[in-house]
Amino acid sequence: MRLRRNAALVAVAITLVLAGCGGSASGSRTSLTVTGSTTVMPIAEVAATEFEAANPGKRILVSGIGSSAGIEAVTKGTCDIGTSSRDLKPEEQSLGLVDIKIALDAIAVIVNPSNPVTGLTKAQVSDIFQGKIKNWKEVGGPDLEIGLVNRDEASGTREAFSKFVLGTADFDPTAAVLPGTGQVRAVVAQAAGAVGYISLGFVDPSVKALSIDGIPANETMVGNGTYPLSRYLHFLTKGQPTGLAKAYIDFVLSPKIQDSVVRDAGFLPVAEGGK
Amino acid sequence: MSDSHDPRTGEPVPEMCTDPKSAENAPRPPARQALMTISKATYLKEAALKNLFLVCACVAVAGVALIFLFVGLEGWPIFAKVGVFNFLGGLKWYPTKQFFGILTLIVNSMLAMIGALAIGGPLAVGTAVFLSEVATPRMREIVRPAVELLAGIPSVVYGFFGLVMLRPIVAHLFGGLGFGLFTVWMILAVMIVPTIATLTEDALRSVPDGIREASYAMGATKWQTIWRVLLPAAKIGIIDAIILGMGRAIGETMAVVMVAGNARVIPDGIFKPFLTLTTVIVLDMPYAAGDHRTALFGVAIVLFIISMIFVAAIRVISRFGKGMS
Repeated sequence: MRLRRNAALVAVAITLVLAGCGGSASGSRTSLTVTGSTTVMPIAEVAATEFEAANPGKRILVSGIGSSAGIEAVTKGTCDIGTSSRDLKPEEQSLGLVDIKIALDAIAVIVNPSNPVTGLTKAQVSDIFQGKIKNWKEVGGPDLEIGLVNRDEASGTREAFSKFVLGTADFDPTAAVLPGTGQVRAVVAQAAGAVGYISLGFVDPSVKALSIDGIPANETMVGNGTYPLSRYLHFLTKGQPTGLAKAYIDFVLSPKIQDSVVRDAGFLPVAEGGK
Repeated sequence: MSDSHDPRTGEPVPEMCTDPKSAENAPRPPARQALMTISKATYLKEAALKNLFLVCACVAVAGVALIFLFVGLEGWPIFAKVGVFNFLGGLKWYPTKQFFGILTLIVNSMLAMIGALAIGGPLAVGTAVFLSEVATPRMREIVRPAVELLAGIPSVVYGFFGLVMLRPIVAHLFGGLGFGLFTVWMILAVMIVPTIATLTEDALRSVPDGIREASYAMGATKWQTIWRVLLPAAKIGIIDAIILGMGRAIGETMAVVMVAGNARVIPDGIFKPFLTLTTVIVLDMPYAAGDHRTALFGVAIVLFIISMIFVAAIRVISRFGKGMS
């Protein structure tokens, strides 16, 4: 979903880059460009719409071209705020970028509530999703065949999960592929041996989120950075943000956006002033 | 058609205004002159209607031609790029990793179709026999609308029903996730019943009553009449019906995508997820780009050809049947 919508916006992004949207960050500016990660887009976009409604005459242009492209764009000054769903790499640390964490993306491994297994190691999760472990008894559960539920390739959650858990390995091709978080949750809720993964924000009592490496999947553990399958979503600016950029970033970090928009998009809010 | 005659002249009706130019200018044979007693306005209206219908028919033909042209133009580069044999014969469909083999999908589509036919075919023919030979008029009035209603249910509703109701039951009874051939067969079997049943009933009804009477007169029972006389007599029509049912089963998309589970492998059991020719298009379309997108059009070409084979088969069989009688 995200990718499809964003593909169209790449064209917009390119236009903006060509138009040289960067420049002086004076307070009198009326428009701001935000570009980068497609994962961050749902938050940045809805926040932009609400920001524009609250500040008539101001324009926030949001586009998704990928995290690396966003970091490059903000470094070169072709946009005001770069967005990224990954941490800065060591070689990017010295570019003079200010990193503002705006939300947490955590992925929960979910099973049917009737499954007695309560936790797995990251290596076990990896083996399960590669198809190397095929029965719950191999990980201390009942003698029950594991029913793998995967997401489609367009899914940002799949991409993140693959990066967290599998590394360079491939998913088991015999896994069911479902085109939505809701479907994954519904199927896992109704099949005893099923295992799947969804954003932590969408976990509800119909499924059970497993602890990973002994760390329970909940907001506290994600918030203090110990839950392994999580990542921050970032806003990046060249130097300390000022003017319109600062106003927009403060707006995104405000409880109003953090508790509604961020949660609605399936992410978790960052602690107050998560810089 | 040709045996409907104008009551006044006895001349076949379609002859009336086949060629407006010759009707106006050329010297007319006597029978045609008699027809010109109709007013000029009526004549023009008739001519206009004739052309209107011609346009309608042309739109249908143009639609098929345009779709075929478009799909062909979009899809042929993939055959050129990976080779016809690699495309049709490859077992790996991982377009993002440059594997464009659709044999897995072809096999899966065939498996889905054959199973659906094995379950739905007898069900549909049985329904048709019931409607045509067994049911009282009152029962027929209940059953036939029900069968026709099955045809009117949108396929996404079948899929939703399958996903929400049938799949959890299958998962509960047989283990696994409930996706797979078995669930797809159940859904498709019900979906092809109206197609096959309606056409089979027509075929049975077109068997002259004299044949039934002759059979009973020979002392045959109802069952013997149905099995030994009526079904063989209607066999061409029933085969046509079944081929149309096959077309419906192989082309079905929305219902299948919701209960098939969409794994890109030939399933090693009837309760394992699988992906078909139609569902891959729905599933991959949102993010397909470049060669991947072209390959999806290649899949569409294959579907188009399969459907052409079915239509051709029906025509050949019908002609063969006419030749026999």
